Order: sequence, then structure tokens, then C-alpha cells
Amino acid sequence: MRWTPIAAVPAALVITVPAKATVYLTTEQAQRAIFPGASFASAGRPGVWRVSSGGYFIVDRVVGKHEYITYAIGINPNGTVRQIEILQYNESYGYEVREASWRAQFVGKSASSTLQLNADIKNISGATLSSKHITDGVKRVLNMYEANLKGGR
Amino acid sequence: MRRSRPLLGTYVEVCAEGLPEAMMERAIDAAFGAVELVHKLMSFHDLQSDVTSLNRRAAIEPVEIHPWTAHVIRRALALFHATGGLFDCAIGAELVRWELLPDHGFAGLQSGRLSALRFVGRNRIVFDAPVAIDLGGIAKGFAVDRAIATLRRHGVRTAVVNAGGDLRVMGREGHPIYIRDPINPSLIRHAGVLRNGSIATSSAAQTRKITGGTEVSALVCAARHEPLVERNAYSVIAPTCTVADALTKVLAQVRTGDAAYFGRFGATALITVPCRNESRAA
Repeated sequence: MRWTPIAAVPAALVITVPAKATVYLTTEQAQRAIFPGASFASAGRPGVWRVSSGGYFIVDRVVGKHEYITYAIGINPNGTVRQIEILQYNESYGYEVREASWRAQFVGKSASSTLQLNADIKNISGATLSSKHITDGVKRVLNMYEANLKGGR
Repeated sequence: MRRSRPLLGTYVEVCAEGLPEAMMERAIDAAFGAVELVHKLMSFHDLQSDVTSLNRRAAIEPVEIHPWTAHVIRRALALFHATGGLFDCAIGAELVRWELLPDHGFAGLQSGRLSALRFVGRNRIVFDAPVAIDLGGIAKGFAVDRAIATLRRHGVRTAVVNAGGDLRVMGREGHPIYIRDPINPSLIRHAGVLRNGSIATSSAAQTRKITGGTEVSALVCAARHEPLVERNAYSVIAPTCTVADALTKVLAQVRTGDAAYFGRFGATALITVPCRNESRAA
């Protein structure tokens, strides 16, 4: 292990989290990841696909206090959850570098690469972020499945 | 390749490189599998978990648990003794009373210490008193370590696993590490650069709430069995995420990194005071 601290961490180094839109998977990639080798047919509702090997693939979105998240849920033919994958995670903050002193760390990068700061800032440690909104979202999707999709058609 | 799944009550992100796509997909899938197993074994909420079996029955009869749960409890006991009892997982009674954890119909639940727990076999445990353990202060770190070990076994040499703020980096490269402000989560600070190591952060600010007219949180003062409610963020950098995660609970109580046990575990302490003030090496 090697830890190199920022010598002193002055308040000037406080920055605003970029409006991160982290894209993990496209819908098609998630379909292949959750149901490998299957084909997908629209089930007549937006974001809902019937899977050729049985079950359903559903894309849903949840909005939290500080984030909105698009995720995919694979449902087995017996109604159990097969897998959940986050497709896209957005932190709903404005993109802003607050302090000039912080900007200086990126001297040498071109103007166009400034926008890629979004991608560079990823290792954020902090008190645990709750995924309660996803838990609630999955419950809502499973209720919808029970009421409308279960049993085929 | 970067993937994220909701596990351990948070968002777990695995970021890895260096393998062909199909092999990497299998490696990352296996890493999530390890995290999922930790979640199943060590969740206080889940009625089927080892932790719930222990809390319901270990005061009555020996309870057989999975080797991973036994490993985490051995680490917890070592940390309990090394820190003079400041790292104490036997805080289930308090967290249930403060309505931060569910009551699974525990009979005669009492406040107690982790010293009430005894191994009576390689993976068998009894409690000498009706206490309840909560591995929430260490299992997330362990899950991150298992995910990294799984990736390594699949041939991955460069990776970051981040379980909602507790993270471990593997590889030759140094990674810039940012710490989130405990009060205003839209603010982060660049704290340093980490190579082949872990950082975890705890803050009472995240779980603070009012129960029965009193302010409570999931961070507990082991000596007084009282909630810690001040708002700093306590970070620990250590070789493994298990140790980093656990020692944040100790740092939140002692508020200084001077104690010899930090050095013995190869740990560095960092305290972040909310916005407009300064983050300081502890």
C-alpha cells in the first residue's frame, strides 16, 4: 500500500461534485448480460421486454434526493429476481469547478479534456450512500409484474 | 469495464481493466457474486443470514456459520481486543432500540460486549449473554476485499471496487482519492493518492435521526452505549478494506489517529470537518 496525502488539505480544495452521468451499460448490453443468448420482444409497455427463454427484462428509473438512476431488472419465469444492473447513475449536481487552485491540478490537459473531469473523479470515499430508492423501485416493478405480466401475455 | 449493482444497502461499483471483454465480464460477475454472498450471510435485516441465526439462537445453543462469517467475526474480535473494546459489533440491542435495525422478535435482548461471543468450533459460536451483533461496521469492507481477491483470481491486475464509499484500489497505478463532505454531499475534497490500498469513511451525519425524542445514529460509543451524533466524517486508509471500515468506527470515538493500534494495522486516519472548515490528518 502507498498513500500520498495532499500535504495540507486547505478549504480551497473543496470542489463541487461534477454532474456525473456514469453510464455502465446500454439497454442492449444489459439484456445480453442478464439473459445471455436470448432474444427480446416488446411486451407492449415502454421499458418492458418478454425474453425468448422465459421471463421479463424491465428498465426502470428511480429518483433520489441527490441522484437519479436508470437500472435494469431481469425477472425469471417463476417471478423471482434474476439480476439487477445499474445502467446509468446521475448525480444531480451542477458541473462546476469551484476553486481556481483545484483547477491548477489539471494544468497540461487541453480545454476539451476538461469535460472529461467527469470521468476522472470517481474514487469518492464517504459515509455510505443508501440504495433504498432502488429497493423501493424493485418492489414497484415486482408489483407491476404480479398485476400485469405474470402468466405470460 | 465498469459495472454497478445495488448490494449491501448501497451501490457497489467494480471498475477493472486488462482482460479481454468476455473474460472480464466473467471476472466482474464473480466479484459481484462474492459481494452478494457476504450480503446474504451478514445482513442484520435478512432472516436467513448467519447474523440473524446467531442473534436469535447463539445465546441458547451453538450456531454453525459459514467460514466467511467466522473469518469476519475473528477479525472483529481481534480488532475488539486491539482497540481496548472500542471496536465492538455487539451493538445490535442499541440499534434495534433506536429503530435503526429491525427487531426480529429477539427474546430478552441485552446490551453487551463482543467478549460475550465465543468460538466453540472452527465455525461454531455461542453467546454467553443474549446480545445481538451487527456486522454493518466491518462486512462492507470485507465484501470489497473479497471482490478484489476474486478479480485477482480471475487474472485482473488493475481494479477499483467501491461499495458506496468504502473502496479498495489494486494495481501499480496511484488513484486520486476524494472524500465527500459529511453534511453537503455535493462537495468533495481531494485527499491524496492511493496505490494498492483501501479507504473507508463513516459519519454519524448519514444515519442521524430522532427516535423517542432523542438524536441517534448508527455510530455508537462503545464505553457508554450511546449514539455519536456529531457531524465529522472519519476516514481510515489501510491495506485492507476490512480494517479500514472497522477502524473508522474507532476513529469516530477517539477522534485522533495517535493510538498505537492504527500503526499496528498499517492505518492512517483522516478527519473531515464539514464544509468551510478544513480536513486534517488525525
